[in-house]
Parts: sequence; C-alpha cells; structure tokens
Amino acid sequence: MDLLREFATGSWSLLWKMFAIVVPMMVLLELFEGSRAYRGMVRGWSRIVGWLGFSEQTAAPTLIGFLFGLVYGGGIIVRDAKRHDLGRRQVFLMALFLSMVHAMIEDSLILIAVGASAFWIVVFRTGWAAAVTLALGMAATAWVRWRRRKGRG
Amino acid sequence: MALDRGDAKAAPSEGSRLRRDVLAGLRIGCATFWDLAKLMIPAYLAALVLQRVGAVEVLAKVAAPVMRVIGLPGEAAVPLVFGWILNLYAVIGAMQPLTLSPREITLLALAALISHNLIVEGAVIHRTGMSGVAFGILRVIAGLAAAGIANQLMGLF
Repeated sequence: MDLLREFATGSWSLLWKMFAIVVPMMVLLELFEGSRAYRGMVRGWSRIVGWLGFSEQTAAPTLIGFLFGLVYGGGIIVRDAKRHDLGRRQVFLMALFLSMVHAMIEDSLILIAVGASAFWIVVFRTGWAAAVTLALGMAATAWVRWRRRKGRG
Repeated sequence: MALDRGDAKAAPSEGSRLRRDVLAGLRIGCATFWDLAKLMIPAYLAALVLQRVGAVEVLAKVAAPVMRVIGLPGEAAVPLVFGWILNLYAVIGAMQPLTLSPREITLLALAALISHNLIVEGAVIHRTGMSGVAFGILRVIAGLAAAGIANQLMGLF
C-alpha cells in the first residue's frame, strides 16, 4: 500500500514536471527555431562542440539537454532524429555526451547546495564528458571501420 | 487558444504563422510527452520495487570496496546506489546520516552526477534508439572512474 502511494505521488510529480516543461519548451522551440538569435546561439555552441564530432543539427538538442536535462533534451533528440534523420553516429555521440553531463543547471545547483565543489562538478565534469565523448566516439568509428573491412575480406 | 485565434484575425499573415507554430509545438510537445511517459512510468515503478526488495543494500555491499579505491568511505556506497536506482534527491537524502568531509562530498557528488536515475533515464536513452542498459553500465563505470581520477588530482594540489 505504501509502495502504491509512493508510486502514485511520485508518478504524478514526474509526469506533471515533464508535461510542464516538455510542452511549453516544444512550443517555444517551434516559435523561435527560425529566429536569428536562436540560430546564432546554436551556431556558437556547435562551434564549441563541433570538434567532438557533432553536426550543427545535433548541437541544438545537445545544448538543451546539457542545460535542462536528459528528459527534455531526450524529447528533442527523439523529435529531431525523426525530423532530420540525424543518423546513428550523431545520436550515439549525443547520448554519450548527455549521459555524462546533463541538467547542468538544476543538478549542479542541488549538489553545490549540500556542499560539493562547483569547480569539480561543473568544470571537471564537463571536461570529462568531452573526453569520454571524444574517446568513445573515436573508438566506435574505428570499430565500425574494422567491422566493414572484415565484412569485405 | 482563444488568444491565438484573436491574434490570427488581427494580423492574418503574422498571426497565422504564430498560430501554426504554437499548434505544431503543442502537438509535438504532447506526442513527445506521451512517448516518454509510456516508458518512464513503468521504469519508475521498477526502480521503486528494486529499492523495496533490498537491491540498495546488496549493491552497496558490492560497491563498498570500490568506494575506498576512489577516496570515499565504504558507507558512501549507500547514497551512490540510491542515486543509481532512484535520483539525485535520493542521494542527498541518503547522504544526511553520514559524516563526510567536503572533499568526500565533492567526490560522491561527481560520481552521482554522472550515474543516477539509471532506470528512468535509461528508458529515455532507449527511446532515442540506443541501448539503455549499455549506457547504464557505462555511466556507473564512468562515474566511479571520474571520481577516482578527481581524487588523484585533488591529491596533487
């Protein structure tokens, strides 16, 4: 009974929070996606993350996930993967980067509030996410090439 | 909605574009919400059940020796495992009874920030077409490794 009560209240708050963020964010994105300011912001960010292998189309959902969270970024990944046909490699890179660092604002703040050092959990963690994305992205490329070569031979 | 319609009448070209974008956003937002909710709610239930049947204690016992390698007391495995199964709020809750130094709090926070809420977020990763399980395992290993490396680096300064 206790479990059911926790599940009910927990699901309600999870669903409500998701709905209250996902739906308005999609509306805002539809409205501002064409604007010059939004495009400039995405282009700037894609220049920063471009060297990790991200395309300009993938940079936008990665930025949303980085700032606001995997659920919200994930929602846009799902939408853009369908709409732009991002390709498996781009989705893999995004999943790598965002699985290491997401919800930079909310998650970092709640742990800084209980005494964690901002330098390590913001700067070091972001650097770590970049390193993991770069390393595993390269490893995956090498693996795919090796498989292809083996397939031919 | 009534407001949108009003705008559309006032300025046909600009207003209809606005209305079209808002409607598209609402439609995509609701579809995405439903897509994610379908997976996240069962995942959330699974996480709660795992916690109830004592998975935290079992996993914490396994993780305790690793904790000492990365500069944390063995008992810090409990909040970390709570985070793996539930979320960061569970980490903070389970941290309260422990007495941790600022350095230990930072290391635990780093590991937990990289690997948390693995079941629910794994469902989201699964929805993008990647393996939620593989990414869950990667996040656990990467979280522990990042904390271990940070611990070594902190020792240098």
